[in-house]
Amino acid sequence: MRFSTVRKTTLSAVAGVVLASTVLTACGGSPENSDGGSATAGTVNWWSWTPDNDLAAREIAAFNEQYPDIEVIYKKVPSDNYAAVLKPALASDDGPDVFTVNASGSYSAEAFAAYSYDLTPDVEELLGTDWESKVYQGGVDAFTVDDRLVAAQWAKVGAGIMWINKDVFDQYGLTPPTTMDEWVQVCETFRSAGLGCFREGMAGSSGFIVDTVHSIADSVETGAFQAAVTGEAEWTAPSIVEALGLLRELSENGVLDEGSVGIQQYPDVNNAFLTGQVPMVQMGTWYQQYATVNSLTAALDGAGVPADTPKITIVPIPFPDVAGSGNPSTMFADPDAGQAVNVKSKNRNAAVTFALWLGHTQEGQQVVANNMDSFPTLNGVTPAFDEIEFVDPDVQLPELQKVSEQLGQASDARSLGISAELNQAIIDAAQAMVNSDTSPEDAAAAIQKVADAR
Amino acid sequence: MFETRRLRSRIGLQLLLSVLVLPFVFPLIAMVRGSLAGAGWGNYATVLSLPLLPGFFVNSALLSAAVIAIVLVCTLTAAFGFSKLHVPGKEIFFWMLLACLTLPGVVLLAPLFATITRIGAYNTLWAVILPVAALQVPFTVLLARNFVDGIPDALMESARVDGANVVRTFWHILLPLTRPIMAAVVVLVFINSWNEFLLPLLFLQTPDQQTVTLVPQFFVGMYNNDQTKVLAAAVLTGLPVVIAYVCLQRYFERGLAAGALK
Amino acid sequence: MTTTVPETLATTRTGSPGRRRGVRRPAGLPWILPALLFSAGLLYYCIGYTGYISTLDWDGAAPIQQQVGAENFVRMVQDPVFWGALRNTAIFFVVTFSVQVALGIVFASLLHSRLWFKTFYKVLIFIPVVLATATAAPVFRQIYAPDGALNELLGAVGLAGLQQTWLANGAFALAIVITVQIWHSTGVVFVLYYAAIGQIEPEVVEAARIDGAGDLRILVSIVWPGVRGTTIAIAILSAIGSLKTFDVPFLITSGGPSYATEFLGTMIYRVSVAFSDVGYGAALSVVLLLLALVAAIIINVGGRRGER
Repeated sequence: MRFSTVRKTTLSAVAGVVLASTVLTACGGSPENSDGGSATAGTVNWWSWTPDNDLAAREIAAFNEQYPDIEVIYKKVPSDNYAAVLKPALASDDGPDVFTVNASGSYSAEAFAAYSYDLTPDVEELLGTDWESKVYQGGVDAFTVDDRLVAAQWAKVGAGIMWINKDVFDQYGLTPPTTMDEWVQVCETFRSAGLGCFREGMAGSSGFIVDTVHSIADSVETGAFQAAVTGEAEWTAPSIVEALGLLRELSENGVLDEGSVGIQQYPDVNNAFLTGQVPMVQMGTWYQQYATVNSLTAALDGAGVPADTPKITIVPIPFPDVAGSGNPSTMFADPDAGQAVNVKSKNRNAAVTFALWLGHTQEGQQVVANNMDSFPTLNGVTPAFDEIEFVDPDVQLPELQKVSEQLGQASDARSLGISAELNQAIIDAAQAMVNSDTSPEDAAAAIQKVADAR
Repeated sequence: MFETRRLRSRIGLQLLLSVLVLPFVFPLIAMVRGSLAGAGWGNYATVLSLPLLPGFFVNSALLSAAVIAIVLVCTLTAAFGFSKLHVPGKEIFFWMLLACLTLPGVVLLAPLFATITRIGAYNTLWAVILPVAALQVPFTVLLARNFVDGIPDALMESARVDGANVVRTFWHILLPLTRPIMAAVVVLVFINSWNEFLLPLLFLQTPDQQTVTLVPQFFVGMYNNDQTKVLAAAVLTGLPVVIAYVCLQRYFERGLAAGALK
Repeated sequence: MTTTVPETLATTRTGSPGRRRGVRRPAGLPWILPALLFSAGLLYYCIGYTGYISTLDWDGAAPIQQQVGAENFVRMVQDPVFWGALRNTAIFFVVTFSVQVALGIVFASLLHSRLWFKTFYKVLIFIPVVLATATAAPVFRQIYAPDGALNELLGAVGLAGLQQTWLANGAFALAIVITVQIWHSTGVVFVLYYAAIGQIEPEVVEAARIDGAGDLRILVSIVWPGVRGTTIAIAILSAIGSLKTFDVPFLITSGGPSYATEFLGTMIYRVSVAFSDVGYGAALSVVLLLLALVAAIIINVGGRRGER
C-alpha cells in the first residue's frame, strides 16, 4: 500500500534527522556561534529545581552587586517534572543558558553531558590550576564526565540525621532517644498525648526512605549500605537483611507512624512536623533552613495554618542506634547540584560567569551558605551565623555547628551511584517491609535482582 | 420517567436525587474550603497578583480558540464527507480514524520531543495546539457523523436539483442544521484544550507562552508545597470552564440529544 | 423546516446509502482529507515512531540507539508490575463501567421525571467533568489523608473505628482511584444517557404505567433495553479509557503503594521519563494500543450479536 511506504520513508527521514542533530549537538566543542557573547553583560536564563524562588532571588541579587549588567532570569521547575521538561528544551534552540544538574538520577550531569559546555578552562582561570584542592572533591568527581567538567558544583547536602521538635520534647520532659528501646518509650509517651512520633512519607517518587534504610544499615554495620551500592557486597548480605527487618520492627512497635506508605514526605510530613503535630522526622542538612525565622514563616504560610501558629524550635539529632551494636550514627553526603552551561547558549560567556560565580567565588558561596538550605562546597566558607535570625539561637546554634563539622568529614555518598531503578527498588523493598509480610530476605533479593539487571 | 403524580413519590425521588448528588459536590466544597485555609481570601489575592497571570489566561484562550477552529473545520468537513458523499473504502478510513481514539497522551511524548524541536515549534503555542486538536478529531468526527446521518438525504438532493454544487450545499444547507452538534463539539473541545497540562508543561517554557494550567506550579516549591495557593489557583483556573459550561449547557444537551450515539 | 422522511430513505450508520439509491453522489474524498491527513496523519506517525522505538534500547537523547528487536516485549511478559497493571486495569474497567452506567441511567431517568431544580442537578453532576484532574487531585489527597476530611467525617458520626490510613492500603488505594474516576466522568455518561432516554417515546412509558408497572419495572424493561446502543458505545469508550488511565493514579497515588494502583499509563511514564528507558516505554505503549483495539472490536461485535 502506498501509504505505508510513504510512512516508512518519512519515518526514516525524521529518525535520521533526529540522529544527525543529536550527534551534531553532542560534538560540544565549537558550534557556529562560538563567539558566546560578552562575559559581563547579557541575559542568562537559569533553570533548576532548587532553590526556592525567594532564596534564588537573594542569590541573584548578590550576583548583580558584582555583575550588574548580567540579567539572570530564574525558572523553577518541580523536581518531579524536571527531567521531562529539560529534554526537549535542550534539544531545541530555545533552551536555558544555565541549567542545574544533580549528581545522580534522572537529571544527572551524566544524563545531560552531551548538552553541557566544558568548564575546565574557565575554572582554572578563576581559581588556578590547583582549583580541585579548593573545592569539595566529591563534587568534582560527580560532575566530571569523560574528562570534561560538565557542571560547576555549588552545594552539597548531607543526610543520616534526624530533626526533632525540641519544644515538644521539653514539654514532656524527654531526651532524644539513642537506642531502639529508648525510642519505643519516647514514642509511647508522645502517642498517649495524642501526637504522632516518627513520621516518614514513602509515597510518590522521592526516596527519603532510602536515607532511613541507609541509616539503619549503618547502625547494623558501618558502611554496609555503601558496600552494597558499589557492588562490593550483595544486597542479600546479612546486614542489609537485618536492616530491612529493623525497619519492619520500627513500624510494628509503634515508632514509625502508620500510613507512611500513603503519604508523601513533601508536603504531608513536612507540614505535619513544622506545625507541631509530629515530634520527629528524618530529613537532611537542607532542613536546617527551618531553624531560621524567615524560612519557617514561609513554610507555615504554605502549610495553610493561621499566622499566629507558634514557631517550633527544630534541632538535629543523630539517628538512634537501632541495631544496638554500638556503631556510630553516620552522615552521608552528596554534591547536591551543579550549574551546567548549555553548549548552544547565545550568551555562553555570561552564563559561564554566573555558573562559576555561585559555586567558586567567596561571595557566591557566602550567599548559598547563608540561605541555609545547602552547604557550600568552596573550602573555607561558613554561614555567617550572627547575620541570620534563628528561632532559638542558644539551643540551635551549637547543634547546627556540630552538623556542619560532621558533614565536612562525611565520606559515604548519599545517592551517588544509585540509579533511578535501584532507588525505586529500595523504595519498593521498604514499602514491602512496612506494608506486607514479605520476608526481609525476599525483599533484599528483589533489590539484588534490579542491581544485577543494570 | 418516574412516577411523580403523587407528592409523596415526588419528594421521595427528589430526596434520592439529592443524596446521589452529594458525593459529587463534596469534593468541590472541600476544594473551595482548602483554598481559603490559612490566609483566606489572601490566597486568591496572591494568585491574582502574579504579574503575568492575565497573559496566561490569554494564552489559554488563544490555545482553545485555535484548537476549536481546527477541530470544527476537520470535523464538519469529514462528517459531511463520510455521511453524505461517495468515498471509496469509506468505512476503512473511518475505522482508521476511530482507531486513533485508543492513543493515550503519554504515548505521544517521545515522538513529539523529536518532531517539535525539529520543526522549530518549541516554545510556541503551536506545539500544543496541533497535538491537542489531532487528539480531539476522532471523537468529534464520530459524534458529528452520527448527527449528520440523521439529516435527511432528501435535503441534499433537492439542493442539487436546484443547481447547487457540493460546496454550496455544505455551506448553505448543512452547516445551519449542524448548530446543535457544533455546540456540543465546542464545549467538549474547549474543556479538553483549556485543561491541557502535560503538553504545555513540556513544550511551553517562557511565561509569555504558558497557559493557565501551569499556574499552580508556581506555588510548588522544593520544600514548601503551598497547598492553599495551589487550590486557589486551581479554582481560578476552573472558573472559566464552569461558567462556559453553565452558559452553553442547553445547546450542548441539544447537540448530544440530536446526535446521540445510537 | 421539517420533512417527514419515509423509513426506506432514512440513513443508517453502516452501508453506503448512495449505492442503494443508485445515484452517483459527489466525491467525498477531498472532504475527509483534512481530518485524515491532519489527525490520523499526526497520530499514526506517532504510533509508527513509537513502534520503531519499541525495538530499541535507548534513553531518548543519546545519539546511540541500540537495536534489540523483541527484547523489550520479552521483558514485559516477565515483568510482574506489567501484569499487575493489567489486573488493575481490568478491575478498574469493570467497576467504573458498572457504577457509572447504573448512576448514569438512574440520574438520567430521574431528571426526565417531573422534579424540581433539574438544571441545578444537571450542572452539579457535570462540573467534575469540566475540572482538570490536576486541579482536583490535591483535594482528594487531602480528603483521604490520615487526618483528612473522610476520617474526620467518620469520627464525627461515631464511626471512628472505621478510620484508616486509606492511601496506605493497596486495596483501598485502588478503590480511591476508582472512586475519583467515577466522580470525574459520571457526568459524561449521564449526559449521553439523558440524550438517549430522551429518544424513548413517552407513549410506551404511559402504556406501561397503565398496565400497572412501577418505577423499577420501567427502568428494567423499558429504559435499559432502549438505551442499548449508548451502553455499548460507553462500554467501548470506558474500556479504552481504562487502558489509558494516567492522570488520577499518577497524581493521587503515584501508582503505589507497592504498585497497587499502577496502570499501563503510569508505568509508561515512570519507565520513559524517570528511568529514561524509552524503548521499554514504547513497547508498553504498543501493547496498550493493541489491547485497546482488541477490546473495542470485541465489545462492538459482542454488542451487535446481542442485538440479534
